[in-house]
Amino acid sequence: MKFKIFNKIKAIGLSSIILISTSCSDFLDVNETPNNPTAVPPSALLPTALSGSAFANSNELNRFASTIMSVTYGAANDPAAWDIYNTDGADFGNQWRFEIYNGALINYERLLETSEDLNANSYKGIAKIMKAYTFALTTDSWGDVPYSEALQGDANPQPRIDSQKDIYLGNPSSNIQSLFDLVKEGLSDLDKESSVDPGVDDIAYGFPQYSDKIANWKRAGNSLLLKLAIQISRVEPEKARQIITEVIQGNNYIVNNSQDLTIKFGGQVGSQAPTHTYTNVSSFRNDLMISTRFVNLLKGLNDPRLPKFVTKPGTDYVTVDNGARGLTLPATATWSRFSSYVTGVNGEGPVRLLANFQRAFILAEAAVRLGTPGDPQALYTEGIRASMSSAGLTESEIDGYFAANPQVVTLSGTTEDRIRQIITQKYIAQYGNGLEQWNDWRRTGYPVLAQHQNAVGVDGTRPVRTPYINEEISRNPNFPDNVYSNVKVWWDID
Amino acid sequence: MKKILSKLFVLLLLCTSVMAQERTVTGTVNGKDDGFPLPGVSVRVKGTTVGTQTGANGQFSLKVPANNSVLVFTYIGYASQEIVVGNKSNLIVSLALDDNQLNEVVVTALGIERDSRSLGYAVQTVKGDEISQRAESNVLNTLQGKVSGVNIGSSSGAPGASTNINIRGITSFNGSNQPLIVVDGIIFSNDTDNSQTTLFGSTPSNRLNDINPESIESINILKGPAASVLYGSRASAGVIVITTKSGKALGGKTEVTFSSSVNLQNVSYLPKLQNSYGQGANNNFVNNSTNSWGPAFGTPGYENVTTSWGESVPYQAYPNNLKDFFQTGKMYQNSLNLASGDQDRNFTVALSSTLHNGIVKESDFNRHNVQIGGNSKLNNGIKLGGTITYVKTSQRNSTTGNGGSAFGQINRIPRSYDLMGMPYKDELGRSIFYSTSGQNHPLWSLENEFLTSNVDRAFGNLSIGYDFADWLNVSYRITADTYTDRRKQIQRIGAARAPQGQLDEDLRFRAELNGDLLVTAKKSDIFTSGLNATVLLGQNINQRKFQQSGVLAESLTIPGFDNVSNGSVFNQSYESNTTRRLLGYYGQLSMDYNSYLFFELSGRVDQSSTLPSKNNSYFYPAASLSFVPTDAFDIKSDVLSYLKFRASAAKVGRDADPYLLQSVYVQSSFGNNVADIVFPISVGGSSIPGFQISSRIGSEDLTPEFVTSYEAGLNVGFLRNRLGLDFTYFYTKSTNQIFNVSVSSASGYDTRTTNIGEMTNKGIEAQLSATPIKSRSFSWDILANFTRIRNKVVDIAPGVETSDIDGDAFSGIIPSIAKGHPYGVIIGTANTRNENGDLLINPNTGLFVPGTAGQVIANPQPNWIGGLTNTFKYKNFSLSALVDVREGGNLYSFSQVDVRSGGSWEPTGVDRNQPRILPGVIANPDGTFRPNNIQISAQSYWSGIGGLASEGAVFDATAYRLREVTLSYNLPSALLSKTPFGSVTFGLSGRNLLLWAPGFPGDPELNTQGAGNIQGLDLNGIPATKNYGFNLRVTF
Repeated sequence: MKFKIFNKIKAIGLSSIILISTSCSDFLDVNETPNNPTAVPPSALLPTALSGSAFANSNELNRFASTIMSVTYGAANDPAAWDIYNTDGADFGNQWRFEIYNGALINYERLLETSEDLNANSYKGIAKIMKAYTFALTTDSWGDVPYSEALQGDANPQPRIDSQKDIYLGNPSSNIQSLFDLVKEGLSDLDKESSVDPGVDDIAYGFPQYSDKIANWKRAGNSLLLKLAIQISRVEPEKARQIITEVIQGNNYIVNNSQDLTIKFGGQVGSQAPTHTYTNVSSFRNDLMISTRFVNLLKGLNDPRLPKFVTKPGTDYVTVDNGARGLTLPATATWSRFSSYVTGVNGEGPVRLLANFQRAFILAEAAVRLGTPGDPQALYTEGIRASMSSAGLTESEIDGYFAANPQVVTLSGTTEDRIRQIITQKYIAQYGNGLEQWNDWRRTGYPVLAQHQNAVGVDGTRPVRTPYINEEISRNPNFPDNVYSNVKVWWDID
Repeated sequence: MKKILSKLFVLLLLCTSVMAQERTVTGTVNGKDDGFPLPGVSVRVKGTTVGTQTGANGQFSLKVPANNSVLVFTYIGYASQEIVVGNKSNLIVSLALDDNQLNEVVVTALGIERDSRSLGYAVQTVKGDEISQRAESNVLNTLQGKVSGVNIGSSSGAPGASTNINIRGITSFNGSNQPLIVVDGIIFSNDTDNSQTTLFGSTPSNRLNDINPESIESINILKGPAASVLYGSRASAGVIVITTKSGKALGGKTEVTFSSSVNLQNVSYLPKLQNSYGQGANNNFVNNSTNSWGPAFGTPGYENVTTSWGESVPYQAYPNNLKDFFQTGKMYQNSLNLASGDQDRNFTVALSSTLHNGIVKESDFNRHNVQIGGNSKLNNGIKLGGTITYVKTSQRNSTTGNGGSAFGQINRIPRSYDLMGMPYKDELGRSIFYSTSGQNHPLWSLENEFLTSNVDRAFGNLSIGYDFADWLNVSYRITADTYTDRRKQIQRIGAARAPQGQLDEDLRFRAELNGDLLVTAKKSDIFTSGLNATVLLGQNINQRKFQQSGVLAESLTIPGFDNVSNGSVFNQSYESNTTRRLLGYYGQLSMDYNSYLFFELSGRVDQSSTLPSKNNSYFYPAASLSFVPTDAFDIKSDVLSYLKFRASAAKVGRDADPYLLQSVYVQSSFGNNVADIVFPISVGGSSIPGFQISSRIGSEDLTPEFVTSYEAGLNVGFLRNRLGLDFTYFYTKSTNQIFNVSVSSASGYDTRTTNIGEMTNKGIEAQLSATPIKSRSFSWDILANFTRIRNKVVDIAPGVETSDIDGDAFSGIIPSIAKGHPYGVIIGTANTRNENGDLLINPNTGLFVPGTAGQVIANPQPNWIGGLTNTFKYKNFSLSALVDVREGGNLYSFSQVDVRSGGSWEPTGVDRNQPRILPGVIANPDGTFRPNNIQISAQSYWSGIGGLASEGAVFDATAYRLREVTLSYNLPSALLSKTPFGSVTFGLSGRNLLLWAPGFPGDPELNTQGAGNIQGLDLNGIPATKNYGFNLRVTF
């Protein structure tokens, strides 16, 4: 009896050892992740990257720029610090990391690779144009940034910093492609045959109201060239004049509000434009109210866009002057905030990256300062009309305003005077896009903005750059320490 | 050839014994303390190899040489005894328990019981009665201050809060540094599974919390890799071997134990607050201000003020508004244990329940356990054993974290705000609060933002063994541990972080299976008398599975309806599965020579599924030596009673986490709590999916990481072991660490997985035990322990000076590894100083100049920790008090910064009208410095000292604490003799009764990130508690 049990135990033991050893390789072969794909189609990457660019433009950086540009008042949290010009490397880490480099930019890069393999030239073209847009946003805010060596992953975990000048103009000896050339490459990709075109995954132009998506992207690309050129027009007037003249001659840029490059969002939680979420929804919704200064500016100009731009829950606008401290804030329900022009009725946005009015004001500024083709007055008028129309004013209302306010809508005086008029109107039109308002102000000094009360900052002056984020300073030895917010970027010559 | 030789040798021995004249001696061996028979006692004729063991009832029968034989009785845990047989034929032997603590039985790797003197490495045992009835439901907390080499810290005062434990420091950059937990041979998950983000969320229990401290017979802590190498990779952070109560030692009796305790709990040490100034800023009343920089109470014109919702209220201090937020917690613990049997056949049934309502309203932790276990030796010699335990644990805890939670608000309550007296919700259930920035009344948050967790867990083992010969045992053991944790994170409509409401129905499943084949061969007196050897060969097969899936319902419609059907957006629903497997082959050779020289050699090969197949097999060895000169040279005296030297060296390999080899795509999302989107997004009527490349770069070239460890130590007993010292020095070196090392974000990624770095730990641990007084009715025992560990990140990767530790961190406050610093330092913004170290002051403002980011500003690791337990026994009374010290180490505290910069902290109310000057210097244009002389207001001063994201938020976490006091009384047995009771014990216990924390305004034992590698952060958590309890234990 005993003996039998021995045999059984031995047999079980032996067979289990055999079982283990034979199935060994399969047994351990369980390390392919069931949780994530290792490859995805271009249509999954494009909306990711586009919404990343939209977040970069309109999320925290917009809260920051709108506040220091006296459009919004910082009532609490970070905006309260920005309102008195305080910003440091603890700010915008999420923007730099998750919206820009690890967000939009790396996914444009992956999109370029994937669409290269698939010969999907339309995706390639869009990716290059938007990569240039996003790098421009990055260098405009932070100055010299990683560009030519960026986005290479393992191959270059600590990329060098390229100068803003090299990023804009290129530098063949350092292997740096200019942003202008990157856009032009994108435009030529759009001219090529493409194996596949985007559908609604193109959350800019992929919707039924746009008849020819690719044609719109070409207009957007050319308009981007104008924006890039005007940005460097003070420091490199010749280059700016040349690019702008080329684009005008090519005559394929945004000329109609319906061609605006805008990123669309949705009306439900988790799909909403950031402007809507931080204005109306999130726990930070009471950080920003519209500044008294902005409302007063529009009131002073009798501007009919005021009620379209700014909410008025009570009888009059409820605003606070920038930098005001130690006062009892009015009840939040009464605050004047970004209207649905910025946020969408339920959060649809859109986020306006390049607009028809913007193009018109750029051409007006170029015509005045650089002598590029076009009538400054006509372009100025076109810009104001485009903005008012975009804000929802009817043609007759616009005509009425023009008739009643000739001194506002007519350029006059010296070059400087006319630039001031153009940029002041552009500032109003760019409402909701703080970064562009800040770009223009830094380039031109307009509109003339008074100091905020209780200003602190580094030396009491309005920030002219965002300091490098702390994480990069500790992770990448190529980043210098302590470049404070009062250090001008390359194109900001005065 | 060898075989033949050894057979001859054995034959020879047999012949010699046969040649002598023989007779038979029989006898019984009992334990002297209780009189129960002792089975398994070795009985040997002195100077020969002739011997036997006692049977189940302690009896033996042995043929001995006729001429004046001496029998040696040895038994683990008992003092050995020699008896001259003379002409006696029947002996009754009583073995006394070996009161030499340095010679106790310890459970080592794989549950092998060993005499502690044989061990070449440090192992510490804590007995069940040292941790039971301690007014504490988490086993790990009951170990605090009692074990050297171990750093234990509770994460908060919430019921069921997780507790972090590290043995001998941190040895892995990225892997778990929590020790492996083994309960009755079952590899037992102690995962914490933080849900959501720990910046804003609830920290759930560490799952060892599913064990009831009352059920524990003993805990053995295997500290170094040499001790734990047989458990393989996962034991490189040490092992905690828990043995639950069984009927083994009952000698055939049946015993029923009932224990019960009632405990009260209060918030421990809140910061002292001022009561002279109320809500506002710059001496003005501001009704939505989070600060108390308003006018002094009694200022004319401020008799009444208007709240932010328009009500006129008196302007006065509410001195207890913070304190009264906390309630008295209650904890009831009951357990019933039935055990029966003897060494060979025994049976246990245990039931227990813990009901705990915390110091925070609407928080609880309830645990119910049922355990059944038994062992039996069948008539045919096969040994069967098994145990199965079912646990049901439920927990409810409020969310914590900076902003948007009750605890994000609680330190920002102005002194004039009647927190507990004012209505906190309106008739529609909406929050009423002074804040106009989207924050809710803390009471509203407690009711409407919380996490529930319901764990159903079963674990058990089944083992079968057979002695093929008296020297050969083969056994197989299967263990399983599996649980589901059904969690629900509720944020009702109006919640600060999800104003439209959010329900996260989160299901987690974890299962671990182990099969272990063990072959043990023992041989005594090989080659020469007194040289014994044990060989153990084993094979382990392991599988771990984890699954998490959940429905995230957003945009809720009906207030208070916590069902996911209430949601209208579900696109953040999720699923994640992991499977990992491991095959291990191990062996151990243990030799001892005359019980004073011991040598052990172990080795293990692991094959892991998580490494690339080309690198997935790895071998690691261990060797240890122990020598007892007091026995070897027979120099034992009443002064020097015991001396042992030991040394060991070991290397342990560790595999990766699953799925690290590839770079993958993840569902896209953007933004944070200011604004965010998660794909698929719904735009213009279309649902648009989006994926993005994961921020981590995978690696197909990973290799295992290794920890190499050396330790040496000694045990000394003086004065008949009334005074004992156990001292260890250890050095560990961790290399080839598998780590997600930070890369510049500009590379397009956040981290890359690779093998990098080197980290060392040097440490000393010491235990001192003393019995200054020992008499029949009174005794005084002292037990002290001391631990000092120096951890250093020697190297990270080429060109990398610092890297983030995986986990949730605030922007600008990054728990990191930094070259040349201890593990886990916090990198943030340091105040700017000149070369002399003086703080630089901005001449325009009188405040500090902007800080310098990216600096190491806090180190959470203590300089040293120690514990001192004094136990006094007088007749049937026993009083024990434990003081523990944690010297050094930092805590980064949002809570205290809030209280300080908000003007609530007591010192901010002193001389508030007087101007102040921040300490520091102002730079002169010529490069020299002048002392700062710029006067600023109290408000500027206290808020200028440091905001949330700066060095000013770093506090010294040094704490001296009366950790535990227990008083118990055993009813005299004379009183009980006529009752059915075997014993009755009453007790009182208290925890955390006194605290002195010189550098911190509250109780610094806090870590909002829960158990895990990120320590030293208080991002607005629940404060610690002090507990008091009454308990009763009865045996039948």
